[in-house]
Amino acid sequence: MTNEFGFTTLPQAPEGVTSTLNRGMVETLSAFEPAWLRERRFRAWEVYESLPLPTTRLEEWRYTDLRKKLDLGALAWPAKTQCADDWEACPEALRRAMEEDDPSAGRIWGVDGQIVHVDLEPRLQEKGVVFTSLREAVQRFPRLLEEHLATQALPPERGKFEALNAALWTDGVFLYVPRGVDLELPVRVTRWVAQAGVAFFSRTLIIAEAGSRISFMDEILSHDLEAQTLVSRAVEILAREGSQVHYVGLQRLGKGAFFQASQRTLAQRDATLDTLNIGLGATTTRVDLNASLLGPGASSEMLGLYFGEGDQHFDHNTSQDHLAPHTTSDLLYKGALDGRSRAVFRGIIRVHPGAQKTDAYQKNRNLLLSPEARADSLPNLEIQADDVKCSHGASVGNLDAEARFYLMSRGLDREQAERLVVLGFLGEVLARMPLGSLGQKVTRVIEEKLKKV
Amino acid sequence: MPQNETIQSLGLDEYKYHFVDDTKYLFRTEPGLSEEVVRQISAQKGEPEWMLQFRLKALEIYRSKPMPKWGGDLSGLEAVLDQIYYYVRPQEKMGHSWDEVPENIKRTFERLGIPEAEQKILAGVGAQYESEMVYHSLKKEWEEQGVIFESIEDGLRKYPDLFRKYFGTVVPPHDNKFAALNSAVWSGGSFVYIPKGVELKTPLQAYFRVNMERMGQFERTLIIADEGSRAHYIEGCTAPVYSTESFHSGVIEIIVHRNAHFRYTTIQNWSTNMYNLVTQRALVHENAHMEWLDGNLGSKLTMKYPSCYLVGEGAHGEILSIAYAGDGQHQDTGGKIIHAAPRTTSSIVSKSISKGTGRASYRGLLKVHKGATQARANVECDALLINETSRTDTYPYIEIEERDANVGHEATVSKVGDEQLFYLMSRGLSEDEAMALIVRGFIEPIAKELPLEYAVELNRLIELEMEGSVG
Repeated sequence: MTNEFGFTTLPQAPEGVTSTLNRGMVETLSAFEPAWLRERRFRAWEVYESLPLPTTRLEEWRYTDLRKKLDLGALAWPAKTQCADDWEACPEALRRAMEEDDPSAGRIWGVDGQIVHVDLEPRLQEKGVVFTSLREAVQRFPRLLEEHLATQALPPERGKFEALNAALWTDGVFLYVPRGVDLELPVRVTRWVAQAGVAFFSRTLIIAEAGSRISFMDEILSHDLEAQTLVSRAVEILAREGSQVHYVGLQRLGKGAFFQASQRTLAQRDATLDTLNIGLGATTTRVDLNASLLGPGASSEMLGLYFGEGDQHFDHNTSQDHLAPHTTSDLLYKGALDGRSRAVFRGIIRVHPGAQKTDAYQKNRNLLLSPEARADSLPNLEIQADDVKCSHGASVGNLDAEARFYLMSRGLDREQAERLVVLGFLGEVLARMPLGSLGQKVTRVIEEKLKKV
Repeated sequence: MPQNETIQSLGLDEYKYHFVDDTKYLFRTEPGLSEEVVRQISAQKGEPEWMLQFRLKALEIYRSKPMPKWGGDLSGLEAVLDQIYYYVRPQEKMGHSWDEVPENIKRTFERLGIPEAEQKILAGVGAQYESEMVYHSLKKEWEEQGVIFESIEDGLRKYPDLFRKYFGTVVPPHDNKFAALNSAVWSGGSFVYIPKGVELKTPLQAYFRVNMERMGQFERTLIIADEGSRAHYIEGCTAPVYSTESFHSGVIEIIVHRNAHFRYTTIQNWSTNMYNLVTQRALVHENAHMEWLDGNLGSKLTMKYPSCYLVGEGAHGEILSIAYAGDGQHQDTGGKIIHAAPRTTSSIVSKSISKGTGRASYRGLLKVHKGATQARANVECDALLINETSRTDTYPYIEIEERDANVGHEATVSKVGDEQLFYLMSRGLSEDEAMALIVRGFIEPIAKELPLEYAVELNRLIELEMEGSVG
């Protein structure tokens, strides 16, 4: 093995192996699983052991020091949840979150890393749509999963956390939409975290066959957690020819949560694959998102919104890979930061050789609301084709004094005026995707946060 | 590349600075780097003990630092560093008039047009050949006003206190691996002091020439612009093309005191076998202005990010960067601005052109420290791609620790449009001419900041490089 300077290093204890996260746990999890999945988990575990824990010497981790922010050794394994598939047994906060939602085509809710409830409109079941827990999918659709789970989009080799999740996932969601089927209404996944001091690993796999249409709303929430809790999530989305997929992730975890999300979207010819990541909670949030445009005519809109307060730390690491000609990507990440919160945005557009007529855009804008807040922005471009349109922008600024003054001159008090300016600033992101009730939910949560401030 | 009439009539080759002088050397160290080499350099210069110790300490730091893993491809550099000559002394003593410069060296600089330019447009000229300044001269009127423009060695000898007060303070040896290397083996470069309130009407110029094969040039320049002064310093660099690679690593330290205004212009046109890794930094005090005008046209790989540390209230920093990357070249350039005081302002404008297999990367840092209230900063990067195989990258770092800051960054990448070409050709221009015109228009915002002679030179170069670029 060689280190980053090319010197051979002596073998040492693999980093990140703890009394909870170890080979024995992989053994336990895979005890009754089919052979292909067992093998896949063990191979992922080997990759995990072989990779060092990322340090701030790596460009991708320059501003998030895992050694300070995450104590893997302190994490326990969650106890099995006792929650029954019964609306009355559903934790109240989770129920409230779901009651706010518009109608759905299907709904899954889960507690502490386990799926508790699944439903899907019968008309969609008849058309062959599959919306179920990953555990059940392993039994029912082994061939589909063997082919696509942690292989094309997020194989363990992509990184330490990707490998860890692929080895230790306990449950997740599988959505398969056959050719030409339009879900019409969104499918919703709502998850509640109650246990603290533990590590959760879940995965989502979405396959959109040619010409299908999907809107997927993925929400996770918790109260404040008294001990550090790792919530790891991997999302793989495969959009086949001409399909349309909207994925929205809403994260409202409480203090104490370390939210780690790896997402990869693969868009084939003429597919539209849009994502929106909303980060409102958790002490630390790290999102790695890659959009790969694999076929001519593919396009991805990548949206992000975050609101930080207290000691919250958001780190978004995005990449846009244009691998075919005539592809489009458009990224907009906006955040407002209060208290001592901090945001890092690192994004890269890569136009690979031959991806002519690429149209790629990338923008990160930050609003600093307090003198202690901080924002770092690294919008990068790597262009290896000449007939392209690429640009990026980044800005960091404070509340526009003029806008505030204008609103105050119309009779609003200072607080109201500031709230409007912030909501207007962040609202640009929400307006770019049809969200229905989710948009109102997000606005309400931000308003509450602003009031608290 | 087709040789058309334009080129022939101008009498230019592809790289017109390729000519070699048959010069005998008075002294040179063994190839490669060792403590002995460092001691020899110091002894050759008859330096005080503190400088020798400074060099030896820097050598230690250099050895302890890993090779950078970012920027350009440095994988071949280690082999180059093992076989180059770190110090080559071309003559006994430096001349203050061209008559004192050995004939063959003088001829080199005549071919480069230096003495002629000195007569016409410059306040003073320094010329470095291999490791030593061979010529240094300042016009009398400026000397009388107390301006100091000396070789760095003479600066240390004649103004030991002033020198020691500032040397190594802006770019300390541990700053980066190549700053450490330069600190260990530096030789040549200028020492400049502009007294309070003095305004130089015409620029000072230093010209750097590498003639020998497998040569390492490590010039070191220290500039102090005292309160309210105003000056412009230009450096130019060329070398002949050899099959082996050469190495150039300079360190430029500039202190711009209160209300002073300083501009530093580089027109780097090293041959395409040169590694060019340079650290240039200015400390900018209260209400002072610092401008870097950085033109990178030559070299195999350049990694250079001129920086402004805005440490005084109201300080202003500006970086205008232009890079041209032709076949096989990688220009990894950009700039750094550090806002460390209130009401500081800055701007970075970068324009790059990639042609053939060339790669131009913008790499920049914009940092607003806590307490640097009301900082304003703007970055603009534009890249032009000429061919399908050309590459461009943009790697900006923006770090903001102060709410009360206003910072923006914009970058665009484009190619020369067929419509643009077609329009110009319909007006009677050839395809090459049209291309050259478009590219000239693209770099015009920066070219117009250059003294006329350089702007003309830059335009001529672009014209030349665009020959046969279409199709």
